[in-house]
Amino acid sequence: MSPTFTVTRGPRRGAPLDRRRALKLLAAGAATALASCGPPREAIVPYARVGDGEDLAPGAIRRYATTLTLAGYGRGVVGRVVDGRPIKLEGNPAHPASLGGSDVFSEAAILDLYDPWRAKAAAGPTGVAAWLDFAEALTARLAGHAADRGAGLRLLTGRVTGPTQLRLIKAIQARFPAMVWARYEPLHDDAERQGTRLAYGRPLTPRPRFAEADVILCLGADPLGPGPDQVAWARAVMARRRGGAAMSRLYVAEPGLSLTGAAADHRLPAGPLVMQALGLEVARRLGAPAQPGETTPRALAFAEAVAADLVAHKGRAVVLAGAGQPAQMHALAAWINQTVAAPVDVIDAIDPNPDDHAESLARLTRDLQAGAVTSLVVLDANPVHDAPEGDAIAAAIGRLPFSADLGLYKDETAAACRWGAPLSHPLEGWSDAVGPDGTPSLAQPLIRPLYDSRTAEQALALMAGEPDAAARDLVRATWRPGAAGDFEAEWRQALIAGVLRRGGPAPTAPPAARWVEPTPITRSPLILALSPHPSLWDGRYAANAWLQECPDPLTKEVWGQSLRLSPSDARTLGLGHGDRARLGFGSRTIEANVRVTPDQALGVASLPLGGGRARAGPIGSGLGGNPARLRGPGLAWSLEGLHIERLGAGRDGLATQADHRLDGDTGELLPTMSLAALAAGARPGADRPPPSLLTTPPRGEHAWAMVIDAAACIGCNACVVACQAENNVPVVGPDEIAVGRDMHWLRVDRYDPGPDDDPNAGFLPVPCMQCEQAPCEPVCPVEASVHDSEGLNDQVYNRCVGTRFCQANCPYKVRRFNFRDYTAGAPWRDLDVTALKAQRNPEVSVRGRGVMEKCTYCVQRISAARAESARDGRPIADGAVKTACQTACPSEAISFGDLEDDASRVAGLRRDPRHYVLLNELGTRPRTTYLARVRNPNPALRKPA
Amino acid sequence: MTRGVMAVFAAPDRLQQAASAARDAGFRQLEVFSPFEMPEPEADGSRTDFIGWWTALGGGLGAAVAYGVEWFSAAYAYPFNSGARPLNSWPVFLFAPFEVGVLVAAIFGLVAFLRAAGLPRLHHPAFEIAAMARASQDRFLLVVARPRSSARRAALDEALSGALEIVEVEL
Amino acid sequence: MSARRWTTARAPGLSALDGRIVRPVLGRPTRGWWLAVAGSGALTLVMLAGIAWTFAEGIGVWGNNTSVVWGFGIANYVWWIGIGNAGTLISSMLLLTRQRWRASINRFAESMTLFAAAIAGVFPIIHMGRPMFWYWLAPYPNTMSLWPQWRSPLVWDFWAILSYILFSLIFWYVGLLPDLAVLRDRARGLRIRQVYGALALGWLGSARQWRLHGKLHRTLAMLAVPLVCSVHSIVGLDFAASLMPGWAETIFPPYFVVGAMFSGFCVVIVLAAVIRRALGLQSVITDAHFDVMARIVLAAALIMGAAYASEWFAAWYGGDPAEARFLRFIFLGPYQPLYVAMLALNVGLPQLLWLPRVRRDVGAVVLIALLVNVGMWLERILIILETLSHDYLPSSWRLFRPTLTDGAILVGSLGLFALLFLILSRVAPLVSIHETGELVVTEAAA
Repeated sequence: MSPTFTVTRGPRRGAPLDRRRALKLLAAGAATALASCGPPREAIVPYARVGDGEDLAPGAIRRYATTLTLAGYGRGVVGRVVDGRPIKLEGNPAHPASLGGSDVFSEAAILDLYDPWRAKAAAGPTGVAAWLDFAEALTARLAGHAADRGAGLRLLTGRVTGPTQLRLIKAIQARFPAMVWARYEPLHDDAERQGTRLAYGRPLTPRPRFAEADVILCLGADPLGPGPDQVAWARAVMARRRGGAAMSRLYVAEPGLSLTGAAADHRLPAGPLVMQALGLEVARRLGAPAQPGETTPRALAFAEAVAADLVAHKGRAVVLAGAGQPAQMHALAAWINQTVAAPVDVIDAIDPNPDDHAESLARLTRDLQAGAVTSLVVLDANPVHDAPEGDAIAAAIGRLPFSADLGLYKDETAAACRWGAPLSHPLEGWSDAVGPDGTPSLAQPLIRPLYDSRTAEQALALMAGEPDAAARDLVRATWRPGAAGDFEAEWRQALIAGVLRRGGPAPTAPPAARWVEPTPITRSPLILALSPHPSLWDGRYAANAWLQECPDPLTKEVWGQSLRLSPSDARTLGLGHGDRARLGFGSRTIEANVRVTPDQALGVASLPLGGGRARAGPIGSGLGGNPARLRGPGLAWSLEGLHIERLGAGRDGLATQADHRLDGDTGELLPTMSLAALAAGARPGADRPPPSLLTTPPRGEHAWAMVIDAAACIGCNACVVACQAENNVPVVGPDEIAVGRDMHWLRVDRYDPGPDDDPNAGFLPVPCMQCEQAPCEPVCPVEASVHDSEGLNDQVYNRCVGTRFCQANCPYKVRRFNFRDYTAGAPWRDLDVTALKAQRNPEVSVRGRGVMEKCTYCVQRISAARAESARDGRPIADGAVKTACQTACPSEAISFGDLEDDASRVAGLRRDPRHYVLLNELGTRPRTTYLARVRNPNPALRKPA
Repeated sequence: MTRGVMAVFAAPDRLQQAASAARDAGFRQLEVFSPFEMPEPEADGSRTDFIGWWTALGGGLGAAVAYGVEWFSAAYAYPFNSGARPLNSWPVFLFAPFEVGVLVAAIFGLVAFLRAAGLPRLHHPAFEIAAMARASQDRFLLVVARPRSSARRAALDEALSGALEIVEVEL
Repeated sequence: MSARRWTTARAPGLSALDGRIVRPVLGRPTRGWWLAVAGSGALTLVMLAGIAWTFAEGIGVWGNNTSVVWGFGIANYVWWIGIGNAGTLISSMLLLTRQRWRASINRFAESMTLFAAAIAGVFPIIHMGRPMFWYWLAPYPNTMSLWPQWRSPLVWDFWAILSYILFSLIFWYVGLLPDLAVLRDRARGLRIRQVYGALALGWLGSARQWRLHGKLHRTLAMLAVPLVCSVHSIVGLDFAASLMPGWAETIFPPYFVVGAMFSGFCVVIVLAAVIRRALGLQSVITDAHFDVMARIVLAAALIMGAAYASEWFAAWYGGDPAEARFLRFIFLGPYQPLYVAMLALNVGLPQLLWLPRVRRDVGAVVLIALLVNVGMWLERILIILETLSHDYLPSSWRLFRPTLTDGAILVGSLGLFALLFLILSRVAPLVSIHETGELVVTEAAA
């Protein structure tokens, strides 16, 4: 190919930006927002083939399979599209990383598409520019690198799994052999890579088969927590956590409470010292040549019980080491797994880049500071925010003659670079990605790009020297070669199903795992343990208002995060709950609120990454300090010698729930039964309604009901965000949260039924109970709160005058009031929020100021199903109506259906021995009921969780 | 239009004496004007209890209509399930009718009073009499139909001897 | 008590007495009056500003939150309607029980009812999310063919307040009728005479009219007593008809009625003190009046104490854990100081009135009366906050923090109340002329 080419359109290089063009470009940015709303030009293929006719009607919902990525790994989603607008994303049942469920990230991705703060046009040294201006500048710059063969050129990306992107990067490397491709994820898996390198000699990825695991030991691992595997693993693990003979036993040792810890039968708060001792002790009892390390009696007993259980379940027991654990812990886990013949597939790393993340970033940083770099292209990464030396990197970038940042937003790094160019949202372009298990899948656009943007593939192609390549052709070019038989057929099939039927890497038969004696840890000063942010991940989602207002599953904090300390550490440090503190190492310090929680390990302070974004738009900017700055070189997960200084009594962190106990009676709200008690015929409590003078009116054709399995709920909040997306639920912003107002129709309550030192936290998703004898209805003066024949407790927004008596009289407090005009989008400040309107579900009315609103069991989906059944002349089948929360739930904890149909799933669950009714004694006769939590404690351990 | 003699008194007891004296003297047509309620000179017992009856009637009507509206709207015109309560939830349907009933009762009572008291009547020949102006404040007036004969007139003057002044009036 | 004299020996003659009572109406306004109008007018503007801001921004400018959906709005409503209940109640009950001393206080007591009830009526409307649709609570044929939901205590309220205000207006006007005749006869200017003449409906004061008038007045009084009790019982039912801990109390209706009389009598005491000084009516509003009213306040305070105690007892004896938690919360929770203050002001302080010395000291009685009303407001707001801040699910436990707007509207409403009284004082006699006259004359004769 020729190293240079001439641009077909666009102004001359370096032409000063005159007023007319500036306005034109601005208009191009703004006006395209909704004008270009519409299906993409290329042929895209609906997820489910439907007969011609009715589904083409305006307003009809069509569904398309596509792929989103988290930390580079692909997860299949199905987008619901109305009149060319994607309005809701759901999991793709055909994709192994989704199985139809979803998580907060994929649920909230739809909001990013319409985010008012998205980068709408390129920005160059002379200000606003067209993409083609950027293309021209980049091309010219690269042409210059022909001389040094790219020695001064750097490409920085996050983890890349997309075969097309990898192919193009290879092409770039071919064009510039001396170029260095730097790649890192702030939340990386270096420890696993190094650990497996220690154990097997080369980096491998262990993939547990939880379906076969009777006993699971997590050493700081959080398989149920946020991450690319959350959905699939939650499904697999929780499927065996609902009681019954097949119930697994889950041991968790971790520094700070995680979702997995909350689901555990036995949980051991453990800092590095205890953790290592535990691992060694278990290994020793399994025959490892390890010295018994000194540890606490509780840990010893724990290790004893675990080891016995592992042995007893040879071949059906798994040990996982967390990403935050040292490499040796991973090696140790590998050894144990081999010893107990654990159901674990070991596969080659999906991410082909040989470098460790930390090393790769450190090298780039060095080169930048040493001036070895002359051109830098950052593709969808944000080192200025999430790299430890972000400030130094920003300064270095500023000195570069050429630097470009391609991303969805004008973030910190874009601000530091000379050029910023907008990437298309994943829903706007063609792409592909590989799931964490190796399954490849295609991404097809559900909407024409809203702004003057390109896909990452197109950007890479540009660097590889293919300026005008269409994204679709790039992807097809990747897959055509390996096609077995008719490629077009395979392509079409792949678009329909959302996954490619070409297997990923098959499980390799790994070499025997070596025993690696861990270097003993000495008692260390206070440790800071960093973790992924449950809704902002590493901070890249900070601009997403839904995710900012999505409560932390455990602390229920929103719009910011607190530092978590154990009570005794807090005491020794002279810190109290809610205090403002400065924490850090030497000169690297940030400020944060202190949160004292009993489930925190002694000597370890926990803080999630992701906070402290400097440039995340009106939504994400300036919320707390940036923990990434504390990491120091090496992207460490946990750092020793944290010093904390009290700054004074600060305001308690913003949270949607402050109290987690009902003095003594918490167990009645969240009953927790032991497997043994359940088998012995115990019941969580009465679920028959108390006697009433009222005669329940005759039921209609259907009697909708919901049963939520508290034993299966992992508290991940996917349902909360799904509900928000489906029902046009607005965000209220931090100021409103601060005065105790929120809008989520469905909330996930956290309760601590256990003793103070071991809260045994559990989750209770609370949508509207749809009471048959609803307290909210008789108190409404204007017939706005009425009951329909199918048992739904309807709220007529047009009729509501806002007396709020219904909420005052609701024992479950599930109604939400529009205290202000929340749909106006105040949290976006002065940004034009018109684009947000495109996301709204046309089937759900948008509520105005001064009216009460509430969960409707997704009544719009019920009526859609009713219409369908009327059209096809057959009754509504069980499972035909799925509420948004139900669809989202990764662990299938939510069931919805018709009580009139005695064979329906809900009818069956209502007969389950674990069935109970929240606040049954009030006689409200809710249609939403629960199944009690079950624990499978090890009799050998004195204190069952 | 009766021609009468008006005697003006400074205190109620004076008037009482004069009134009874006049009655003893055989004068029947007496009318009293006073700043506050006084026992009538003659116990002719003109009835007032009809006010009570009208009030009761009004109360009954008001309550009945109110309940009717409730029943019509809640049980007939627009019936719907509200917290599984019966359509005609009579116990709680009693509040509004009671309140409305009392109000209508009061209105009926007021109207009955006004009609019986000949009000409103914005002009009355009595207002022409200068002395009347103080009947509402500190004077107690006794009016007796003027006798034909001078003898009777003398008797009358005798009876009204305690008056501050005596004027001839046309009522 | 009937043996007592309710006027002092120095009581002026009828004409002079009338003169004093009507002077503020027919005479020129004094400088003090103008100052008072300025002050209360300013406060009224504060209230109006608060309401305007609420209409412009929404209920969001109040302190209410997702759990504590009610706040000052409802508390002010209950407080004012409570005060409003007393006037008519006092006037009618004393009339039926032939308490002669009512003569000199009933007029402004009834006026107080009118104004307080009217102000109270404002709050349920401005507290709504969409106040422009307040009339949807009334039954009228409409294209939506929708009706009020008669099972809602708010609809009962609607009718209770409506009929109570109109009834009180009738009761007040009937009592006022003869006095309007006085004004007609004493007024100088033709215009004024015409106006009052029209308002007096041509009242002559003939024996016949007096008998009918007396009959009507007593009949209305007989209607008033049950009406007043029902009105505040219904206000009590706003809470008692719910199923929230601390609200679902069978004792609420009677206890609200007593509370209303309690606060109302206290306001009457304050008004009595102000008016007798302003009009120089020490001779007909005597210290004995304050003494007897103080006795009633004391009795009411004891009943209130019993009501609180019975709440505690029921919560403890009932054994319902939710109620027990509620009890712990009110005594140990964050609102504890307010609750203690409420008990001290409503039950503790009035115990001073056992002492005759205090009862005869008008200043002391007035001070106690004022503080009791502070206590009663605290009671109203706490009834709302305690329950909504701490109900069944810990996840929805939230505290309430009032905003500036909340305070502005509350304080402003006091100004409005004063302003209305000041205006009334220039329009109609604040003390019943014919009834005090009758009292003076009969007691002079006695």
